[in-house]
Amino acid sequence: MIEIKEVYYSYSEEVALNNINLAINKGEAVALLGPNGSGKSTLLKLMNGIISPSRGTYKFNNEEITEKRLRDNRFAKELHQKIGFIFQNSDTQLFCSNVYDEIAFGPRQMGISESEVEKRVEDCLELLSIDKLKDKTPYHLSGGEKRKVAIACVLSLNPEVLVLDEPMNGLDPRTQRWLVEFLTRLNKAGKTLITSTHNLELVHEISNRAILFDETHSIVADMPTNKLLEDVELLKKVNLVDPFYKR
Amino acid sequence: MGAMKHMKKETSNMPDWLLETENYIPESDQDTFVNKSILSLLKVIARIKSQDQEKQAKLQVNVTLHVAFTFILLILLSLSRSFIFVIVINVYLLLILSAMDAEKIVKILKVSIGVSFFTFLVMVPAIFWGNHFSSIMITSKAFATVTAVGILSHSTKWGTITSAFKRFMVPDIFILVLDITIKYIVMLGEFALNMLYALKLRSIGRNKSKYTSLSGIAGNMFIKSKEMAEDMYQAMECRGFTGEYHVYYKSRFQYIDYIYLIVNVAIFILFFYFQNI
Repeated sequence: MIEIKEVYYSYSEEVALNNINLAINKGEAVALLGPNGSGKSTLLKLMNGIISPSRGTYKFNNEEITEKRLRDNRFAKELHQKIGFIFQNSDTQLFCSNVYDEIAFGPRQMGISESEVEKRVEDCLELLSIDKLKDKTPYHLSGGEKRKVAIACVLSLNPEVLVLDEPMNGLDPRTQRWLVEFLTRLNKAGKTLITSTHNLELVHEISNRAILFDETHSIVADMPTNKLLEDVELLKKVNLVDPFYKR
Repeated sequence: MGAMKHMKKETSNMPDWLLETENYIPESDQDTFVNKSILSLLKVIARIKSQDQEKQAKLQVNVTLHVAFTFILLILLSLSRSFIFVIVINVYLLLILSAMDAEKIVKILKVSIGVSFFTFLVMVPAIFWGNHFSSIMITSKAFATVTAVGILSHSTKWGTITSAFKRFMVPDIFILVLDITIKYIVMLGEFALNMLYALKLRSIGRNKSKYTSLSGIAGNMFIKSKEMAEDMYQAMECRGFTGEYHVYYKSRFQYIDYIYLIVNVAIFILFFYFQNI
C-alpha cells in the first residue's frame, strides 16, 4: 500500500530524512519511534503529501506521489481522502464554528447527500462518545475532547490509512487508555494505522510493528514492536531512553 | 474465546460506511488562495529562521554604529540636492552589497529594483512635463534608501537590532513590542501553517464556503495569539521581568568599526561639499 524507496528530504540544508526504505501493507498497525527531531513527523508529512521527497520514490497504492502530481488538485484530493492525518496539536486542526460542522466539513465536500452527511456525523459523534459536544465551539473544549473531535473529523472522510502524530500527547491516562482501545478497534475494522509516538508503555498495544529512527534521521530497526521493546540496548543506543532505563 | 467474542462485538459497533473502502473521485475546485497562503507563510518563516542558522560574517560592523549611520544616511539622502552625492552613495552601497552572499544580493536587489522601478513609473508624467532631473533624482534616491535598509536588515540579526535601539534611548515598551512581534511571527506563522495544511488535507472536494473556513482560521489565530501573549506575560513576570530592557554585553570596537566610522564621516563631509557646489 505504501512503498518508500531510498527517500531523502532536507529542510533548506538540514537533513530530515536520510535514505528511508519502508513498505507498509494494508491493515497493518505500525509505530514510528525515535528521539525528538529524528524525522518521524517529517515522514508522516511526506506520506500525507504535504511535502515530497528531495530524492527517491514514494508510492501509494502503486502510484508514485511526486510534487508535480500533487500540484494536480484532483490527484492530491484523492490522496488526501485516502490518508487521514491527525495532527500533534489538535488546535491546528479545528477551524469551524461548531463540532457538528467540523465533522461534516469533509463529507459535505465529497458530494454525498446532506442526509448521508448527517448519518456520518451522528455515527462519528457516537463512535467517539462526543454526542454532547455537537453544538459546542471546538476552541473551548478540553484537550482530550479536542483530540476526539479531530479524530472524528478525519474519520468522517473514511480514509483507508490513519496517520497519527503523537496522539497520546497531553492526554490524561484515562483518555490515553480510551484512545488505545479505539485505535485497536479501528485497526481490527481494517484501517491501516501509522502512529508516531514516544509512549513506550502503550506502543505495543497500538502497533504490532515498530520502526525505529536514530539521530541521523535514518531507520535503524524495523521489527515486531514487542521485540523492539525488549532490545533495551538498542533503545539506549539511539538515545530514545536514558542509560538507566529498565523495562 | 471470550476475547474473540468481544472483538467481534466491537467491530460490529463500527458504522457500515466506515468498514467499506470509499470509492471517491474528487471534482476539481480552485484552491489557489490556500496554496498561495501556505507558500507566502513558508517564505516569511524561512526568512526569519535563516537568521538563526546564519554564520555571522567575519567582518561584522558594530550593530549600534550600523543602525545609527544607516539612519543618518537616509536623512542625508533625502535632504541632498546634489545628483553626484546620490550617485556616490549608490556606488558605495553597491560596493558593500558586492561583498555579501550571492543569495542575499539577489534578495536585496529584487526589492530595491522593484521599488525604484515603481517610483520611476510614478515619475513618468514629470518627464513629459520636462522635469527630467527630479524624476531621475528621486528614482535613484529611492534605490539608495531601500538598498541601505536592505543591507542593514540582511547583515544583522533582528534581535541585535532591537538591542541597538536600546542604546538610542528608544522606549522599552517599543523594544518589547518589536521583540515579541518577531518571535511571534514565527510561532503564530507555524501555527497558521499547520492550520492551512489541515484545511488542505480535509478539503477533498468542492468547498462551497472557502472564505468561511479561512475566517475560521483567522479567528482561531486571534484567540491563540491572545492566549499566548497572556501566558508569556505571566511567565515573564514570574521570571522577574518588570518591563525594562538592559544591555548586558559590552561591545568593543574592532578595526572594521573604525573603517566604517571613517567612511561615514567622509560621506557626511561629501554631503556638505556637494551641497555647496
